[in-house]
Amino acid sequence: MSISEYNGSAIVAMAGKDCVALATDTRFGISFKTVSTDFDRVYKMGPRIYMGMAGLVTDMYTVSARLRFRLNLYELRENRPVAPRVFFSMITNLLYERRFGSYFSAPVVAALDPVNGKPLIAAYDCIGDLEVVNDFFADGTSTEQLLGICETLWKPNMDSEELYEVISQCLLNAQDSDALAGWGAQVYIIEKDKVTKKTLKARLD
Amino acid sequence: MSRRYDSRTTMFSPEGRLYQVEYAMEAIGNAGTCLGILAKDGILLACEKRITNKLLDEIFETEKLYRLSPNMVCSVAGITSDANTLVNELRLIAQRYQLNYQESMPCEQLVASMCDVKQAYTQFGGKRPFGVSLLYAGWDHHFGLQLYQSDPSGNYSGWKATCIGANNAQAISSLDSDYKSDMSLQEAIPLAIKVMYKIMDQNKLTAEKLEIATVTRTDEGTTEMTIIPRETVAELITKREQEIAQETQK
Repeated sequence: MSISEYNGSAIVAMAGKDCVALATDTRFGISFKTVSTDFDRVYKMGPRIYMGMAGLVTDMYTVSARLRFRLNLYELRENRPVAPRVFFSMITNLLYERRFGSYFSAPVVAALDPVNGKPLIAAYDCIGDLEVVNDFFADGTSTEQLLGICETLWKPNMDSEELYEVISQCLLNAQDSDALAGWGAQVYIIEKDKVTKKTLKARLD
Repeated sequence: MSRRYDSRTTMFSPEGRLYQVEYAMEAIGNAGTCLGILAKDGILLACEKRITNKLLDEIFETEKLYRLSPNMVCSVAGITSDANTLVNELRLIAQRYQLNYQESMPCEQLVASMCDVKQAYTQFGGKRPFGVSLLYAGWDHHFGLQLYQSDPSGNYSGWKATCIGANNAQAISSLDSDYKSDMSLQEAIPLAIKVMYKIMDQNKLTAEKLEIATVTRTDEGTTEMTIIPRETVAELITKREQEIAQETQK
C-alpha cells in the first residue's frame, strides 16, 4: 500500500444553502491493524472554519501544528480573526514549501464566508493545489466511493437538516466499502449562527 | 571623566556602571506611564497614552497594550518602534514553544527568554540596548495569574503592583501604601485611577489619555484581555475628582 493509505481516512465536505458540512470517519489504523476507533481528524481554525485532514496521521499533526503557528501569529499581529480565503492561501503556501519532499496529508476545509454567509469548500492535494468548490469534495482512502455516492445524492441549495442527512449517508455508505476507513463518523454542520457536531454509529469493522 | 566610557555598550565605566543601559532607562523615564496591579481575580494594566493628537486616525484598538499569546498580554513604555520589535519577537518565542510542546508557554519562561535577548544587546554586538520597559500580565497552570516587569538591562522580576515610565517612583510609593494583598479587580481599578491621577497632576487626567485593560481567566479556561470602555473610565475619573473635592473640603 502507498504511504497515503497507511493510516486510512475518509473525509467529505458538502455545501448547502448558507451552510456547509464536514464529515470524517474515526478510524486510526497502522496498516491492517486498527489502533483507535474514536480518532479526531477535524481541527477548528476559526469561528466558522473547520479543517479535516486526510492521509498520513503524523503529517496531519505536523501540518496542523505548523498551520496553527502561522494562524496564531496572523491573528495576534492583525488583531482580528482570519478570513477564510486568506487561510486557504496560508495552507497552499505551507504545503508548497515542501514541493519536492511533500507532506503526505492533505486538508479539506469547510468554511462560511463571514461577509455574505456563503459556503466555501477548499480542496487541496498534498502539495498545495487549491481549488475552491461549490458542491462537494472528498479525500482519503475512500475517495472513489465517496465521489460516486456524492454525485448521486448531492443537489444544490439544501438546508442544514437535509445536508446533514445527505452527507451522513454518503460517508457511512462509502466507508463501508473501504477496509481502511470507518468505525464511526463525526459530522460538523456549520451555519451562520451555530455549529453542530454529531457523532454517528457506523459498521464496526 | 566617566563620559569617556559611555559610548560603547560593551564597556564598563571605572565605577562599574553600564552607561548605555542607564541612558536607555532615562529614555523610558520620559515615556508614558504604565501601571500594573495583580488582584486575586485578575490583573489590571493602566497606561497613559501620549499620542493624543486629534488628527490621528484611530485605526488601532490600543496604543500600548499588546497580546503576546493566548495566555499573555503586555504593556510597553519607551521607544515605540523598539517596543514593536520586542513584541514581535515575544510573539514568535511564544508560538515556537507552542509548536514544540503543544501547550502554552509559561509566563516566566517567556519573560526570561526575552530578557536573555535584551541582555545580549548589553554585552556584545556593538548595538544599543532596546529603550523599552515592559509589563507582562498572564496566566499559566504553574503559578496562576502573574505580573512581571523587564527593563533594558535584561533584568526582570515578578510583582504584585508596579509602575514603569514617567513618575514611576512616585506611583510605586503610592501603591506601597495603598495596595492590599488580596484585592479584587473591582477594588484595583479605582486604586489605579487614584494613582494615575496623582502622578499626572501636571496635565489633567482625561479618559482619552488613559488605556485600562484587565486580564482575567474565564470559566471556559481561556485568558481574556478586556479593555475598559472610554465612558466607564471617564465615570471613574469623575468619581475620583469628586472624592478629592470632598477630601479638600474637610
